[in-house]
Amino acid sequence: MTRLFRRLPPWLALLLPAIVILLVVVLVPLLLSLYSSFTPYRLTRPETLYKWIGEYNYVKVATDANFWWAFGRTVFLLTVALNLEMLLGLGLALLVNKVTWGQRGLRTIMMFPMMFSPILVGFQFKFIFNDNVGLVNNALQSLGITDQAIAWLVDGKLAMFAIIFAEVWMSTSVFAILILAGLFAIPRDPLEAAKVDGCTPWQSFRHISLPFLMPFIYIAMAIRSLDVARAYDIVQIMTNGGPARRTELLWTLIGRTGYVDAKMGLANAMGYISIFLAIFFTVYFFRKLNASRAALGYNA
Amino acid sequence: MASVSLSKIVKRYGKIEVVHGIDLDIAHNEFVVLVGPSGCGKSTTLRMIAGLEELSSGDIHIGEQRVNDLPPRDRNISMVFQNYALYPHMTVAENLGFSLKIANRPEAEIDKAVAEAAEILSLGELLERRPAELSGGQRQRVAMGRAIVRHPDVFLFDEPLSNLDAKLRAQMRIEIKKLHQRIKTTIVYVTHDQVEAMTLADRIVIMRDGHIEQQGTPLQVFENPANTFVATFIGSPPMNLLPATISGDARHIQLEDGTPLPVPERLQSGVTAGQSVIFGFRADNLMPEGHGLTLGSQTASFDLLINLSEPLGTETVLFGEIAGREIQAKMLNPRPVSMGETLRCQLDMSRAHLFDANTQLSLG
Amino acid sequence: MDINQQHRFRKYGLKLAHFLALFIAMSIICLPGLWVVLNSFRPTVEIMAKPPVWIPEKLSLDHYRAMFGAVGEGGVPVVRYFMNSLVISITSTVIAILIGIAGGYAFARYRFRGKSAIFVGFMVTRAVPGVALSLPLFIVFAKVGIIDTHFGLILAYVAMNVPFSIWLIDGFFRQVPRELAEAAEIDGCTRWQAFWKVEFPVAKAGIASAAIFAFLTSWNEYALASQLTRSVFSKTMPVGLLDFTSEFTINWGGMCALAVLMIIPALILTFIVQKHLISGLTFGGIKG
Repeated sequence: MTRLFRRLPPWLALLLPAIVILLVVVLVPLLLSLYSSFTPYRLTRPETLYKWIGEYNYVKVATDANFWWAFGRTVFLLTVALNLEMLLGLGLALLVNKVTWGQRGLRTIMMFPMMFSPILVGFQFKFIFNDNVGLVNNALQSLGITDQAIAWLVDGKLAMFAIIFAEVWMSTSVFAILILAGLFAIPRDPLEAAKVDGCTPWQSFRHISLPFLMPFIYIAMAIRSLDVARAYDIVQIMTNGGPARRTELLWTLIGRTGYVDAKMGLANAMGYISIFLAIFFTVYFFRKLNASRAALGYNA
Repeated sequence: MASVSLSKIVKRYGKIEVVHGIDLDIAHNEFVVLVGPSGCGKSTTLRMIAGLEELSSGDIHIGEQRVNDLPPRDRNISMVFQNYALYPHMTVAENLGFSLKIANRPEAEIDKAVAEAAEILSLGELLERRPAELSGGQRQRVAMGRAIVRHPDVFLFDEPLSNLDAKLRAQMRIEIKKLHQRIKTTIVYVTHDQVEAMTLADRIVIMRDGHIEQQGTPLQVFENPANTFVATFIGSPPMNLLPATISGDARHIQLEDGTPLPVPERLQSGVTAGQSVIFGFRADNLMPEGHGLTLGSQTASFDLLINLSEPLGTETVLFGEIAGREIQAKMLNPRPVSMGETLRCQLDMSRAHLFDANTQLSLG
Repeated sequence: MDINQQHRFRKYGLKLAHFLALFIAMSIICLPGLWVVLNSFRPTVEIMAKPPVWIPEKLSLDHYRAMFGAVGEGGVPVVRYFMNSLVISITSTVIAILIGIAGGYAFARYRFRGKSAIFVGFMVTRAVPGVALSLPLFIVFAKVGIIDTHFGLILAYVAMNVPFSIWLIDGFFRQVPRELAEAAEIDGCTRWQAFWKVEFPVAKAGIASAAIFAFLTSWNEYALASQLTRSVFSKTMPVGLLDFTSEFTINWGGMCALAVLMIIPALILTFIVQKHLISGLTFGGIKG
């Protein structure tokens, strides 16, 4: 065993533990779920795992309007949330970057939401948007803006808004922190050269800062694409996909199908689709990252 | 058309004052070099002219316009940075044309200006490259090209050659000088290298600790240094300085070991008997017999014990001792010199200097 | 007006706008957390009061007392959950970091074919949504018999944390100049000694922050834990939070208290790592 280990090239020997654990805990189960997505497997009837039904589950998923709604809603949520997070993160980073005194403290505060458990964020905003005792309604009523209790989490559109708000609150800091690091890393010289070349502050930002920031924005996007599914926790707690499936996302649908309805095979088929979605985003942003890096002439 | 005038400009960072009220008038088309050791405030001064640093007090005028609070873009200046500050994500052509593009000039005009700058600095081949693909000297030329494209009123150079190797530096020095002859613009140039300062400047401004120590043409500051700092800073090797006193009859300079030397004629009115002074002379004026320049009217002779010699080809720098202090001398048309050899040397007293020992100021 | 004066006025105006914008942004970031903390100290009556009580009349430790009491608030065994979270997070972090050091070192110091493909491959495993992964893991763990055990969850968390730890640690090792280890080898160290005596100590602060990041990921994870744990013996705090909800009511005060208990370690650790965390992420990403 040791001799075999020694004969491997050192890089492979070093990577082996990582490869083994990912193989065992991620890849093999995923292969199993790939297989089970071709069976009518139900948790309650184990023997169904051995019945091959071909692409039946996939056909069923593909023709299920609820699934496509959830899929569309997930893509919508991700698009809106990621773009908002990026813009707000950029704004926040620029604000903090200008601060000369107490910046370290602000930076730490800025990071806090990132360290909150998503489940906690879900509860926190469920509490805040609660129609009866929530902070938002209390404030609106005390200020006399409305005397009604607004049912934030019961109305479909408002619930979606509340979820996006929670999601953006939690994850904007990922962008803000990384973009701030990017701002620190911009060499001072090109910015000064741009000033002397006649740029207004906006032009300096647009033509000099932004190209330097792009790799950092893509790192943030890549990191976010690794954990977008954390939104599952938030939605699970805040609305559990309700009211009447108005906030159902791919992930909550999978959870419900697999565990509540116990249709594992079907849930796995949906799971595969969500996995491909995640992989697509991840690979896309890593590629973008490489391209933006090359544009700045960094490359190892 | 633009002159630059600084009056009583001060720069403070918090409580620390780094520039102490500098006055300087730079004429139109003049090439002024600010020179001094690092930390003397020369770059800060330049950056205040550029508008990259705010003034703590004082006024800056470019032409007739007071520019204290104007952002750099409203000053019509251009600047070459020490690290070139090229935009890494743009090609050479884009770098050159950037300032015009920002000003919304028509494309045809930009192309023409870029082509013209590329022609002047022979960058034609490189226009489509990115800065990462250029050598140090090429980057330097792009940085200069970017500055000339705008036809600014004032050119600012912030130690532009310090990142180049010695050979390239000499070459670029000549290019900058030619450039000035060709485009005729006011130039303010900052460097810590006195050779650059001497070779480029119409006028040298020597700075130390946020003050101007002396200003004048290169030859003026070389021949008549205002104080010991300028004397050692300008010229290579630095001027030899020996502590001494003026004899009772005010006719002689007595070195620490008692060696008497005649007070140079042109300085006789400036000294008083018993005064503590610093006696200064350049290595070029202390030469072994038969290996020197034509001497002036007044000379002194020494036997110099050679500790070390540095042959440079056309001349050899000799290290010896006078009155217990290490000094340097020069040997022209050199012959091999061995350590421990004693050479008879002539000192040209008419080119020697005296400084007051307390104020360090020249007595000339 | 003098043109110089105009510019100066604009500068002051911008400063004021900047300050206001910053104040609003920071309020939005801080308020939700502070609201939770505040409510953890308020008696339930006051939380539910209509019209709302804005200035608390009295602060009490009731929720905390109940939480740490013998049965726990509303019968929720908070201390037990806390210990579960602690054991699972620490163990999985230690293992993930050891694997991460090996992997990160390989990426930082060796050139090999398909390096970036392997790297992205690792990352992709991290991108698999927790819910989607929990389904097959649930089946496999049930078959193997490690469902509802510390071991099962630790295994899952190690796999979850390995890719990201590799990314971070790779970044930190690349900031250590290669010459350092080479100098040590010339001074007579073996490669192994050179690593432990020179490269590891230099990258130590960075590795520590990767560890804290992994710890927090495990500490906060819900999607996997909610399916792979069933009982008090293995439930972690995020799953435990759900115990405060029943069909129609939620015990807000008790939940806020547990939330504070979850947040405090996270905040302290964040404060410690923030600087290194950022440098590791960006270095690994930028200097590819």
